[in-house]
Amino acid sequence: MKLLLSRAIAVLVLSILLVTGLVVFGINYVNKASTWAQYPVNAHLYRDGLLKVSGKIYDRKGNILFQIQDGKKKFSTNKSVRTSLMHATGDLYGNVSTGAQVAFRGRLSGWNIINGAYRFNLKNNTQGHDLKLTLDSDLCVTAYNALNGRKGTVGVYNYKTGEIICMVSSPSFDPENPPDVSKDSEKYSGVYLNRLLSAVYTPGSVFKLITAEAAIDNIANITDAVYHCEGEIEINGVMVTCPSKHGDVTLEKALAHSCNVAFGQIALELGGKTLQKYAEKAGFNKELKIDGIDIAKGTAEISDAEGGDLAWAGIGQYTLTANPLKMMAYAGAIANGGIGVQPRLIYKDDNSLIPNLSLNKRVLNEDTAQTLGKMMRNAVITSYGEDNYKGLNLCAKSGTAEVGEDKRPHSWFVGYMEREDYPLAFVVVVENGGSGSKVAGQVASTVIKKAVSN
Amino acid sequence: MKVISEFAQVFLERFQNVADKITEYISIFFINFEKFDYIYTHVVRIILPVLAATIFLRCIFPLLRNWKQNTALAYLHMPDGTKTPIRHWENSIGRSKLSDIVINLSFVSRTHAVITYRNGGWLISDLGSKGGVKVNNQVVEKSMPVNDGDTISIAGYDMILDLSGFSQNFDESNLSDEAKMPLYKKKILRTGLTFMLILLFQCLGGIQILASAGDELNKAVPLTLIMFIVVEYTCFVVFKSLGKRFMELELLTLFLCGLNLLILSSASPDSLYKQLGAIVAGIIAYFVLTLILSNLDLARKVKYLLVAGALGLLVLNLVLGETRFGAKNWINLGFITIQPMEFVKIAFVIAGTATLDKLLTTRNITYFIGFSGACIGVLVLIRDFGTAVVFFGAFLVIAFMRSGDWRTIALITAGAALGAITVISFIPYVASRFKAWGHVWEYADTSGFQQTRTMIYAASGGLFGVGGGNGYLKYIAAADTDLVFGVISEEWGILIAVMVFLIIVFYGIYAVFLTKGCRSSFYAIAACGAASMFLIQTALNVFGSVDILPLTGVTLPFVSNGGSSMMASWSLLAFIKSADHRIRPEKVDAHKRKGVRG
Ligand SMILES: [Zn+2]
Repeated sequence: MKLLLSRAIAVLVLSILLVTGLVVFGINYVNKASTWAQYPVNAHLYRDGLLKVSGKIYDRKGNILFQIQDGKKKFSTNKSVRTSLMHATGDLYGNVSTGAQVAFRGRLSGWNIINGAYRFNLKNNTQGHDLKLTLDSDLCVTAYNALNGRKGTVGVYNYKTGEIICMVSSPSFDPENPPDVSKDSEKYSGVYLNRLLSAVYTPGSVFKLITAEAAIDNIANITDAVYHCEGEIEINGVMVTCPSKHGDVTLEKALAHSCNVAFGQIALELGGKTLQKYAEKAGFNKELKIDGIDIAKGTAEISDAEGGDLAWAGIGQYTLTANPLKMMAYAGAIANGGIGVQPRLIYKDDNSLIPNLSLNKRVLNEDTAQTLGKMMRNAVITSYGEDNYKGLNLCAKSGTAEVGEDKRPHSWFVGYMEREDYPLAFVVVVENGGSGSKVAGQVASTVIKKAVSN
Repeated sequence: MKVISEFAQVFLERFQNVADKITEYISIFFINFEKFDYIYTHVVRIILPVLAATIFLRCIFPLLRNWKQNTALAYLHMPDGTKTPIRHWENSIGRSKLSDIVINLSFVSRTHAVITYRNGGWLISDLGSKGGVKVNNQVVEKSMPVNDGDTISIAGYDMILDLSGFSQNFDESNLSDEAKMPLYKKKILRTGLTFMLILLFQCLGGIQILASAGDELNKAVPLTLIMFIVVEYTCFVVFKSLGKRFMELELLTLFLCGLNLLILSSASPDSLYKQLGAIVAGIIAYFVLTLILSNLDLARKVKYLLVAGALGLLVLNLVLGETRFGAKNWINLGFITIQPMEFVKIAFVIAGTATLDKLLTTRNITYFIGFSGACIGVLVLIRDFGTAVVFFGAFLVIAFMRSGDWRTIALITAGAALGAITVISFIPYVASRFKAWGHVWEYADTSGFQQTRTMIYAASGGLFGVGGGNGYLKYIAAADTDLVFGVISEEWGILIAVMVFLIIVFYGIYAVFLTKGCRSSFYAIAACGAASMFLIQTALNVFGSVDILPLTGVTLPFVSNGGSSMMASWSLLAFIKSADHRIRPEKVDAHKRKGVRG
């Protein structure tokens, strides 16, 4: 029977194929079971396409932001809170894809890979899994009001723990009384987009932080070097201009006064490849997920830029686009001695016993971060006006990003507080707001002051 | 250090959190204490997978352990003074390493001769060798009987047949002591306990169904389950007293049948009585077939009868076939509807068998190819493509075991693939099924409806299921046949679903394992053919429902709803069983065991 045994291998091969198939299914299951179960026809979790039962969503202080009562979706009782946090919670119909109702629906529905949709006392148990966000709803209201109807976004996070305490995006609306957004498409353009997480803007001068970082690392004696600014400079036939003549400037002074001429020259000295490397280190072009939510990548394609293009890239124009949250995280990394702590939205991940510390990663050299931090502090004192930010120990960089001839520039303000009790980094973008330090800086001032008054 | 302390701090914090959760959990538990069914499901859903795994392991270990399965039936005294045992009813002699009796001399042909046990005596057959075969100096033309003390000369290499000390009636009861002795030494897993665990599983599962159904209970559910347990118990007792072989194969299968009834209790309680009837009929068919197969000469005659019957069924199916779910694979006999192609499977497997002397002399398998062609042709005509694939896969396995010629097999496969592609592209009904394959989510509510629902609800069950009777997949068409893997995953948990899958994979491995000790190649081919049918059906059913393969609508053996399939599956199981000639170790009283050890 040896002969037959040698031929019976055919059956063994079949068996192995079956086991292989089972492994493939197992891998699919582990990776996709959550998506499968969340398909809205699943009668265990959904009725008429809406979650049958859902956990409550709380802010960090325990205020209820969202719940399902008697099959109806209920938001906060306070209209300003509802409106300011509409992008965080999501609206009635799941239009905001990054909203907690959609992004964390697996968790809210109570589904998990071990127990599936099973819940103890399945028929009567209406409890899903509650979800606590890191957001402070009072601060969000302040931020939303500070934007005062202008389109834009405000983000504040703790650069030591990663907790995002403020996340607002404007325009917004009261999710319990949704307007007909198609009627006023100008007013509600991009209303379902959480601008902090999903939008990208031309960074303008806030990108100078990255150029400065690259310069500190790569150009010898950069802190002593002096650049001369005549208000404009011609590079290969392309004009780079400054609002005024800055005269002789050091790197520190150039950053404080946002001297385009100096930074254009520095960019040329660095070269496209180096600048590209530093942009990517700061998160451009890179995939980033916070608690599973995809963050807009932002683009930097400056490896091959030369001459005037490269100079404009060094001052944050050219083809660069930046995501506000990533710029905020970059400022946070500067504040945290070069170590970037991954921002997060879920208050405490109490699902697993093993803490995940691997999300912290070095973004800048420690010394470079310190030098850059001092320059940002200097910028606040000498340029933005310490009076506006009294006692905050603020380090910041403004940006006024040109977006076309006939439009007012986007207004950026990025920075952090150098305070042990309030280790907060922030970003403000006001679309077509005008001057960065004046418009976005004003919003930032209001929000930060509110944050430290708590 | 800082990292460690930070880690420890976070760990403690989380531990505190988990502790809180547990406290909260226990309190919820007590608040709901008056609700028996919730508590019951909560506990039983964890117990059942553990039970299933225990049953599985307790069944496969005795079957895969080598209980000295190849004891000698006779000896050959070699010229160099050594003794070579003859272990099978059919033994090839030759220079090839794959011969059962290897004579590594250049003038011996690769496969020179076969020595077989037929009708109570031994027979030597020349396989057309160059050197020739002589018995007591008499040239063997084709074949010649040999007796104790005869000299068999293989191209001048003389061996003496020694039958002394062997009863030549290979009844199980009077095997030589050598065959029995080693059995006492091994640890024996008690079959009775395994059987009790299976009954426990079914009882716990049955109560779960009753608990979840509440007031809407169909009376057929408890009645069928009780009757089934009576049937199982009868089987067990009959087997234990009559048979002397291992029972674990039957136990595994009864476990699957029990699961089949539990699924039906939830998904289609109206068909429970019919299904129980099919199980009983299947078990009877199994007994009868095993009995016939134990007599090789009888089995070889029955083979032709079965093939003739199968050809009749093919014609019947073509003439009387009714269409359900796109395939014309049903016939209505007035009082009952059957799927004739299920029964053709039995004839198909046995049609491919051959004894070793036939297998080595006539390479020609034209008749088998013709019969296979007829079966597969009819299946294509009635548009039952899934079953066609099952037949074709089994055909490849059997044809390879018959011929060992993988080149021809590859050629046939290529030809068939070409044919299949032609069929797929010309028949819109098939093409539409293939269109969704691989991206069913894009067709989630049309042609991918069944697959997406299977995945949705399989994922809803988690590891332990939502509890028997609490599922939703059962409301989808054909859930208890084509999507049964999903139903098990949803209601009983993916762990038990995987266990079911592994039991069927085990049938395959077991058939291969048995091949080595088979008395005749007839049994080896039949076992491997039957096992490959189980394997391919399982692959098509399970992988089809979760979009790894196209959904073709074949049944999962022993688990899907369907009487014909159930009966055919039990019959196919008889082929696997018949390849196992080993004797179950008997209980030995203490002093005898001691004596052996001493
Ligand atoms: Zn200047």
